[in-house]
Amino acid sequence: MTSRETLALAAVAAPALVAALVALAPRRLVAGVALAGAVPAGGLALALAGIALGRPGSPLAGDWVAVDAAAGLLAGVIGLVGAASVLVSPVYLAGMRASLVSVPRRERTYYAVLYAFWAILLAVPLAGNLGAAWLLVEATTAASALLVGFSGKRRALEAGWKYLILTSLGLGVALLGIVLLAAGVPGGGLGALSWHALGTYASGSEAALVAYLLLLAGLAAKIGLAPVHNWLPDAHSEAPPPVSALLSAALLPAVLVVAWRSQQALAPAIGDQTAQTVLVAFGLASLAVSVPFLWRPLAWKRLLAYSSLEHMGVIALGIGFGTELALAGVAIHVAAHAIAKALGFYASTPLLGHEPRAARRAVAGIGRTQPALGAAMGISIGALAGLPPSPIFVSEVLIVAGGFQAGRPWAAAAATVLLALGFLGLAHALLETTAGKARRRDTAEAPGLRGVVALTAVSVVLLLALAGAGLWLPQTELVEALLRGIP
Amino acid sequence: MSGTFVWALVGLGLSVVVVRRRTVAVGLVTLQALLLAGAALVAAASGGDVVAGVALGIRGFALAALFLVLVARTREPRPVQAGIAPLARAGIAVALALALVWLVPAIGLESRAAERSVLALVAFGAVTAATRRATLFQVIGIVLVENGLALAALELPGASSVAIEIGVALDLVLVAAVAAVFHERIFAEFGTGDSTALRTLRD
Repeated sequence: MTSRETLALAAVAAPALVAALVALAPRRLVAGVALAGAVPAGGLALALAGIALGRPGSPLAGDWVAVDAAAGLLAGVIGLVGAASVLVSPVYLAGMRASLVSVPRRERTYYAVLYAFWAILLAVPLAGNLGAAWLLVEATTAASALLVGFSGKRRALEAGWKYLILTSLGLGVALLGIVLLAAGVPGGGLGALSWHALGTYASGSEAALVAYLLLLAGLAAKIGLAPVHNWLPDAHSEAPPPVSALLSAALLPAVLVVAWRSQQALAPAIGDQTAQTVLVAFGLASLAVSVPFLWRPLAWKRLLAYSSLEHMGVIALGIGFGTELALAGVAIHVAAHAIAKALGFYASTPLLGHEPRAARRAVAGIGRTQPALGAAMGISIGALAGLPPSPIFVSEVLIVAGGFQAGRPWAAAAATVLLALGFLGLAHALLETTAGKARRRDTAEAPGLRGVVALTAVSVVLLLALAGAGLWLPQTELVEALLRGIP
Repeated sequence: MSGTFVWALVGLGLSVVVVRRRTVAVGLVTLQALLLAGAALVAAASGGDVVAGVALGIRGFALAALFLVLVARTREPRPVQAGIAPLARAGIAVALALALVWLVPAIGLESRAAERSVLALVAFGAVTAATRRATLFQVIGIVLVENGLALAALELPGASSVAIEIGVALDLVLVAAVAAVFHERIFAEFGTGDSTALRTLRD
């Protein structure tokens, strides 16, 4: 077993182990065990990311485990957001009035399922096999649906139910695509679905294309790409804020990596252009569907949810363009979106403590009554809008330039217009949220604000570092490795 | 697998689309799963195939037990009406199945009848989930889709992967268990397992 393989298994095992410990620990120790476990679990994932991104030219590509640049990028994001989500959870749990489970079991169930979700999520980009990746993605549905409905409120139950049914049906369609692929790989059977074996698909381009379309349509339902995104705004807005952060910042791009690997693996069978066009179409559709909602005065978490739809569209576009510039943009975008979006969701816990009506309607003037909270929300939404010096501005420029480089000027031009419209919508929300007319004059410190202030400081440093990285990333070995995929 | 056998599976699937009672639908998808498990065991060529067949059978029994407990614990005062009449549902399901058969080229399973049956079962499952208002029927729709995919896995040429087939069965049981938690809670909150009550989140 190589050191990468060992570290990959350890990174997945660590949160799984903490989930087991939380499930078995005496009740008074549950929160302590959960919080203590966050740092080593996150640290192992970040160490794996460091190794994979530090030496991207020598990936591990086994039948069951793959550690390449894309896996490293996602492991870093999932490790960071997972640890932060655990650390901000006590404030959320302290403010809970009801839940799916009884009060004595609430904390234990929440942390055990959260850690299980984190472990499965980490395993998704590390899967070296399409069949295994599908199993893991389906398992994330079961764990995360419980968390989406955890508050037990009617709206949360509705959101959780929609999420469970729509994504399970979508994944059923994806599994049909996988079975069709298995039928066409020499050697046959579901055992022959490793990423490198998929490249040997030999049942003709027509059957391969049908299988690829079914696979991508199914995965798109889980990623929340338009037009199969209906569950996304509901689930992200009704889930507990730490879970919304994990869903948006980590789950969606992790499943998008599975779609990316499938596109790279099947390109020889169906043609590069065709494989990429499907992702470009999903990307443009998601951008087009999200923009009108970004212009509307929506509740804070719902606005962030529609922003997730927009950003998954941008990442899908970048992968679809598939050039060095576009993939450099994708790498920056995945990391920057995760940081900015997670910060936005974490800020919603003090926001809802300060102004409970923010759960249902747009907020205004938070910067006037709660300057620190307003700053956190402003930084989050400013970064998500792509307001310079946000790294998302850099990544979007790289992705659009990559579209022109790929010989897709119409798609790149359409994306530019849609991104500009999305920017205007979010810029308006930024102004209203921070400097609009405040509805409340309560200046008492919102619960959990100090933790969010600390996370804001860390996020600003990371976002600026990413903006800087965006300037030298194109034409590096890392981008070349992303371009090659799993050999 | 004979043509008669796979078309019998399709017949059971179409019955799920039209039946009114939840218990009957549970019985039909369970019978389907057990027939598939039996066929897997009869055709087993290795220890791995036997394990996969047994996993399919256990999955069928586990889901049947779970669903029947749920039905018993969430008795509706009167059956939840589907929005679309049974014959119309059957018509939509058959039309979707024919469209899929027409659109999808030969996919390399061991017989063309099996390929068509797989596509039909996937179509029937999707139509069940989309047209039934009762929450339990929506989950049964997903099980129907998975039964179709289990048929496809059995008809794949070449070696199967026990790990993946057991994983699929386990995942389905896990999803159904989570759905059961939601179904019970929805019933407790809304007083019914009618999914039309779940329509407040709109923009």
